[in-house]
Amino acid sequence: MSDQAMDDKTAAARPNINAMQARSGAALNEAKLAIKGLDFFYGTNKALKGIHLDIPARQVTGMIGPSGCGKSTLLRVLNRMYSLYPGQRAEGQVLLDGQNIIEDGVDLNALRSKIGMVFQKPTPFPMTIYENIAFGVRLHERLSKSQMDERVEWALTRAALWTEAKDRLNTSAMGLSGGQQQRLCIARTIAVRPEVILFDEPTSALDPISTLKIEELIDELKRDFTIAIVTHNMQQAARCADQVAFFYLGELIEVAPAAQLFTAPKHAKTQEYITGRFG
Amino acid sequence: MSATASPALGPVKDPKVAARLGSRRKRVDVVIRTLSLAATGIGLVFLASILVTLFAKGFGAMNLSVLTEVTRPPGSEGGLLNAIVGSLIQVALATLIGTPIGMLVGTYLAEYARGSRFGDVVRFVSDILLSAPSILIGLFVYQLLVLPFGGFSGWAGVAALAIIIIPIVVRTTEDMLRLIPNTLREAVIGLGAPKWKMVVMVCWRSAISGIITGVLLGIARIAGETAPLLFTSLGNNAWSTDLSAPMPSLPITIYSYAGSPFQDWIELAWAGALLITLAVLLLNIGARTLLRSRK
Repeated sequence: MSDQAMDDKTAAARPNINAMQARSGAALNEAKLAIKGLDFFYGTNKALKGIHLDIPARQVTGMIGPSGCGKSTLLRVLNRMYSLYPGQRAEGQVLLDGQNIIEDGVDLNALRSKIGMVFQKPTPFPMTIYENIAFGVRLHERLSKSQMDERVEWALTRAALWTEAKDRLNTSAMGLSGGQQQRLCIARTIAVRPEVILFDEPTSALDPISTLKIEELIDELKRDFTIAIVTHNMQQAARCADQVAFFYLGELIEVAPAAQLFTAPKHAKTQEYITGRFG
Repeated sequence: MSATASPALGPVKDPKVAARLGSRRKRVDVVIRTLSLAATGIGLVFLASILVTLFAKGFGAMNLSVLTEVTRPPGSEGGLLNAIVGSLIQVALATLIGTPIGMLVGTYLAEYARGSRFGDVVRFVSDILLSAPSILIGLFVYQLLVLPFGGFSGWAGVAALAIIIIPIVVRTTEDMLRLIPNTLREAVIGLGAPKWKMVVMVCWRSAISGIITGVLLGIARIAGETAPLLFTSLGNNAWSTDLSAPMPSLPITIYSYAGSPFQDWIELAWAGALLITLAVLLLNIGARTLLRSRK
């Protein structure tokens, strides 16, 4: 394949260059999370190898790569989700505002109130819409009824669900559609007022319109929150992310501002992946 | 997979072989289907014959005094009231004692002991208990409570029934909790919730209708148990709600009346059998309705 043909293919695989270029004007912010020399093990299997990555504050970091490359694993290190499972362990440093969160003795409940997570499949709790949101808030704060009402409305509004949900706050969350459930999960996460939100393929179970809504939401949320999003969808990374990190076989191959990574990748592997040669 | 021959798939399909295999499949299908239908038919015939006899004799023997009079000597117009009340008391107490224990053990197995050796041992023992002959449980409680405390008692009956219901609740609780996807657990933990809140406020709430179903089926099982009561609460022909004395119960009364030479006692046994069967039927229908409403 000639270089010219390769370039054409690259161009075809990158939508929304204008949006990316608009964002690329702004430099990356200072790091909210700094990952330094991180190794991760499932038992004896090393799933992450010497990762160094800064996640800039109040911007979106997209993580891409083929299945099994370690991007979801990295996300699960950032809120210590892996600590639920014996046999999984991390070595190295993950600094949240300078504090290493993968040390022993970190208060995990407090950490997870600062670093929220939204999962691939919507996971509404078996309770009312209101209770779904109040549940997380009550874990960390004592609020009066009216303060709680305010917080629930605020969270649902930020998650673009208020107008659809306000007349059915006391009905079961299980009755919402898939896209609504996912926005409820986002509302539930931001209601705790975290500093960082991790999205693990948040739209892979949703239809295109719901996907679009979630992406707009992520764009809007980054004004207040630091965001890391794992996605299988390169267009999504291009649309949402300020910085994109490409993972392959447990290694971070390349990290760059989105416009740069998608238009002028430095590594051959990145080039092959974003042009759809594998993955 | 495409139908065209490829070297990897070997030689092209022979239509004769395919036809022979096809007609063989049809013959085997007919045989299996006939055997299955016959087996189902045999089962249904027995079930229907039991139910028809039970309903005919049971309804024939049923009258108001069955429900309002206590058991009396043969020939003197008695009923089953004391046996019914005795059964209700013992089954209710056994359920109240056994359900929380069973739920906690099931929760321990599903939420805390996954993959642990101790958990595997507990599960294994509980499963053995589930299928242990109930007369053994009666003898066990006889040694444990009846001999040391000087006699048969309602409490001993309650203990025996509780021991029978516990493994049933353990099993259903664990099974229902295991149906909950891990992502739901992670979502709760991800909000910064401690594990006990995850278990109590989300996992139990998700699994509750399944757990209640298990409890109902457990009640249905212990309501009809006779053997463990023979060695524990023994039975009592007088009105008694004193749990420290021998206590009457429906299955025991049926057992002793059905084997008696007196026609009116035999009729009462039929009426009692019908009552228990109807109660168990209702419990099963309740359990099924609950399980369906959850879908």
